[in-house]
Amino acid sequence: MSNRFRVTLVRVLTIQVITLLLLGWLQHHFSTPP
Amino acid sequence: MHPLNWVIVVGWLAYAVSHGIRRSKNTKELEGYFLANRSLPWWAVGLSVMATQLSAVTMIGTTGQGATDGMRFVQFYFGLPLAMVILGVTLVPFLHGANVFTAYEFLERRFDAKTRTFTALLFLLSRGMSASTIIAAPAVVFSAIFGWNLWLCVALIGVPAILYTMVGGVQAVTWVDVKQMFLIVGALLAVVITLLVQIPLSPGAALHAAGAAGRLRVFDFSFSVTNTYTFWSGLIGGTFLMLSYFGTDQSQVQRYLSAKSVEEARSSLLISAYWKIPLQALVLLVGVLVFVFYETHEQPILFNPSNDRVVRAAEPAQYAALEQRFRAATSLAARDSARAAAYELTSTVTHQAVKDVKKADVNYVIPRFVIGYLPIGLAGIFIAAVIAAAMNAISGELTSLSTATVIDFYRRWIRHDASDAHFLVVSRAATVFWGIFACIVAKFAVNLGSLIEVVNRFGSFFYGSILGVFLLAMIPRARANGAFVGLIAGMAAVGFVNFSQPDVSFLWHNVIGAVTVVVVGMALSLAQPQAVEAARAL
Repeated sequence: MSNRFRVTLVRVLTIQVITLLLLGWLQHHFSTPP
Repeated sequence: MHPLNWVIVVGWLAYAVSHGIRRSKNTKELEGYFLANRSLPWWAVGLSVMATQLSAVTMIGTTGQGATDGMRFVQFYFGLPLAMVILGVTLVPFLHGANVFTAYEFLERRFDAKTRTFTALLFLLSRGMSASTIIAAPAVVFSAIFGWNLWLCVALIGVPAILYTMVGGVQAVTWVDVKQMFLIVGALLAVVITLLVQIPLSPGAALHAAGAAGRLRVFDFSFSVTNTYTFWSGLIGGTFLMLSYFGTDQSQVQRYLSAKSVEEARSSLLISAYWKIPLQALVLLVGVLVFVFYETHEQPILFNPSNDRVVRAAEPAQYAALEQRFRAATSLAARDSARAAAYELTSTVTHQAVKDVKKADVNYVIPRFVIGYLPIGLAGIFIAAVIAAAMNAISGELTSLSTATVIDFYRRWIRHDASDAHFLVVSRAATVFWGIFACIVAKFAVNLGSLIEVVNRFGSFFYGSILGVFLLAMIPRARANGAFVGLIAGMAAVGFVNFSQPDVSFLWHNVIGAVTVVVVGMALSLAQPQAVEAARAL
């Protein structure tokens, strides 16, 4: 695995994890009554 | 609809066609026409890749799905970012470095002519049919909403796209895609803002209302092979599907073959890796907010105006009673129950399956909102964006169909040595042929609702198997016969699963197909030299 690939993989996966966490927060926060 | 809205729609169509023709430079050679002389910047290629994937079905169907089913469809794309990274280090350098016009041309260099021709043929059959469904889906909605002749609706979407694709090739397609992506995203954001203003609740309260109705449920962690939209099917099956689609389908491969370098081709795919999931979430959020809007405003029991007219005329008393029950309902469950009864009644009157009635009705949720409630001007922008999305998808399909027809069949098997001028004439004729073919099939596809499903199922039969062949191409020990027999075995395995276990979601077909091809292909390839050596020993 080259360094360049590793950096890109980590960057893409980080963004994806942040996106999924945001979607998870959207689901959790707004599914419960205010 | 207000005349200003039509001025916007017609104005945008005229702009898109003229822009496409204006940006088509150096298209006197085949490489310029099909690959833009490998000169396009990564961001334009990246936006074009996303635009080709975002069709009118996304603008009408996916938003409607957001309104009726919530956000869970976004799980379908969870495998996409990983697939883009894998492609960036595997197939993209192979294909870009091979200096080929089509992905299938690469297969002949690596394996043999029969593998190339067979995969190219599968592509033409599948994409030729799916091009028609891209036109059919919005055309039937426009026809029902505006009461227009279906041929007119098909022509409104098909003719401008055929025109600029035929004249400008991949350059016209890419630059029009870029402009139209801005229109589409702008229209979606404008609708979200308008909805937040029009809903008589604060944004937080609106989202709480959507959440209480289950519309913000994104994740389903259950491991079920029969459910298409789960976290695991999206992540695992989705990765294989996206690897197949972006790595082996000419409609996508051609986009990044036109990039300036391998690095730019890789970067173009990373735009999708970063932005596809947020974009799909935005599309679904539009639907979710439309759901909240209708919860606070009067809504029809059937959104499909054609079915509404037919059922009202056939069963006036029963339909009126259902409408009354729907309006009197005080809970979402009671409204859903009344609507389900209306679907049943429609099914009885129109002799369609209940699930088809429901599926079709979902496609009218957003158009009815756009026509009925969006302010003057914005409705026109949204309709222009729907047509733009359809044109983006159809132009990408047409240019790739034309390329595969000319490069993989005409130049390979009929005329090897003609001039570029000759091939260009044939390429433009092929673009027009596939465009007219798509329009004619689209006209009949709308009357045969299940045809769209047949086309989608047909594609899922071999998508994973073709990916398997490309994976084999990157393994040095793989041989041509192994690849070809593996391809047939992969398709047979998917066919067997499809008929013996019809409930298994099509996302898993890609995994089954790809794995079977690699296993069978490698087993045969490894056995081959041993067989030769054994024969020599005798």
